[in-house]
Amino acid sequence: MIPFIQTTLDGLMVGSSYGLLALGFALIFGVMRRLNLSYGPSIMIGAYLGTLLYIKFGPPTYVVAIVAVAGSVMAGIYVERLCFAPLGVGAGVASMVSSFAIWMQLEQASLLMLPRHSYPFPSLTGGELWSLGPFVVRPDYLIMLAAMLAMSAALTLLLYRTRFGLGLRAIVENSLAASLSGIDVERTMLKAFALASAIGGVAGFLVLSANQQVTAMLGMWATLKGLIAMMIGGLGSIPGAIVGGLALGVIEAHSQNLFGPQVRDLAAYAVLFVLLVLRPGGILGTTAVRRGMGQRGGDRWTTT
Amino acid sequence: MDFYLGLAQIVGVHTLLGLSAYCVLLTGQVSLAQAGFFAIGAYVAAMLTVLAGWHIVPAIAAASFVAGATACAVSFPALRVKGLMLVVATLAFGEAVRLFFFNFDYQVAKGEVKIGPAGGEGFRQIRFFPENGWSTLDVLIFIWLFVALVMAGLWWMDRSRAGAVLRAVGEDEVAAQSAGINVTAVKVAAMTVGGFIAGLGGGIFAHYTAHIEHAQFGVALATFAIAYPILGGLSSVFGTLIAVVFVQGFLIEGLRFLGDWRNLLFGGLILLAMNVRPRGLIDAATIAAVKRMRTSNKEPGNARTQGAE
Repeated sequence: MIPFIQTTLDGLMVGSSYGLLALGFALIFGVMRRLNLSYGPSIMIGAYLGTLLYIKFGPPTYVVAIVAVAGSVMAGIYVERLCFAPLGVGAGVASMVSSFAIWMQLEQASLLMLPRHSYPFPSLTGGELWSLGPFVVRPDYLIMLAAMLAMSAALTLLLYRTRFGLGLRAIVENSLAASLSGIDVERTMLKAFALASAIGGVAGFLVLSANQQVTAMLGMWATLKGLIAMMIGGLGSIPGAIVGGLALGVIEAHSQNLFGPQVRDLAAYAVLFVLLVLRPGGILGTTAVRRGMGQRGGDRWTTT
Repeated sequence: MDFYLGLAQIVGVHTLLGLSAYCVLLTGQVSLAQAGFFAIGAYVAAMLTVLAGWHIVPAIAAASFVAGATACAVSFPALRVKGLMLVVATLAFGEAVRLFFFNFDYQVAKGEVKIGPAGGEGFRQIRFFPENGWSTLDVLIFIWLFVALVMAGLWWMDRSRAGAVLRAVGEDEVAAQSAGINVTAVKVAAMTVGGFIAGLGGGIFAHYTAHIEHAQFGVALATFAIAYPILGGLSSVFGTLIAVVFVQGFLIEGLRFLGDWRNLLFGGLILLAMNVRPRGLIDAATIAAVKRMRTSNKEPGNARTQGAE
């Protein structure tokens, strides 16, 4: 029983990093109904800028964190301006393909900055382990869990208690009606994109400081894990992102424990496929969400 | 010269991959599973020629059927979801296929060495072409024969009732359904044909590269597959061909001299092409212009040219 609980704990801890990544994804997907494949590479740009600074000058960790978040916000705005703003509302697939093109660009830019496969990254805690009775936890991941809960609470407040959030939800509901009632759609979307990238930047920083190294796989890893976690949890829903992230972590940990490390990712994809087919809205996707998506599917390339 | 022959081989195989996505895209579905079907085709064909000693033609035929059957089987559950959900569901399937081959280890001892797919190390020793003395040119002709066949088939289909039905489903599902079209059957058929073509491309790919491994069939290849027809335009099969030449010939090989800086420009140029020509490099207007040119050349005295004179 104790190994089982320990595995679940490990899964929950890794899952909190997936949940953080999924939060940013959920925001973009919730607002734009678009798939931003460049989400991970934007995080990578920020992380690599932070690492470059860290290697060259060895600044305090909080400076690295600020640079990482600022860098990923800048990259996120760049992606939004190039891939999402110019292509109209009905161009979901085209913007997905262009965000893939920018993915290659951002990844190459990161590799030009730091060409080796992996680099050290400052740790927040020194990587120690805490024992709670028979169980072992890593404080790095507890920070991540706390950050995830705090950010999702803040995001919920922002979406449901402020004018900005109201505008955003109005755009999700009907962007034409929103713009007619005086909401600057383009500006609000840009802000939402920047916010999502900032969340991604925080997620990237926390994950890397827990791993104490940054590798060239970061961009793809962040995009895929964030996407899967969001899809498992529920489309564009904030509690869904958390549940999805944690669920993904637990699924991966247990399948690794049962069948070996090579089955880890395979199990995640299999669960995702089955879940998407059986319950397209995700675990927390309500029938209302699904009905709303059905009604919105008039346009040929709308991706909802 | 060998460089250009090699490039033409790559263009041929990628055209098959792009055309497989083209079929599916015509019905308005976006599938990121094409790389998965491509991988199935590659592994099945290579195992048949290397392990079972088949000739390449029946081997790639069998590989195409396996890939097509897989596509058919997957499309039934997958097509329950639409749009972005389908993109992610097919992405999950494609990645699952890739990870399956990452773990797939089936080696047979043949003389001194063990041959066959070896998990993460990939599948080496696919030597059908060198063993049978095919020159690069022979291989090239072999590849383009299939490309021409598939393109001709799709071109003909586009002009037949089947093409009209596919496009009707792609334009407006509800309208197509009201017109008595069985939408699910059409989508499943399109996925099956797409999987078949992808399997064909994969089978050929395995033989001319001589070494396949799971990493070649990732998200990047899947995105390339749908990028070709979207970049080229869905109005004609030639759009996909032109997009492949543009991407593989110009962007990848032509800009190779830029070294590490190539990918920076690569992304930007794809973006530029999509912004300048949002309906694809070859769109309905281009086709109309070509047709006008042809008719005005053939009939110098027709109404339009008279008006211009």
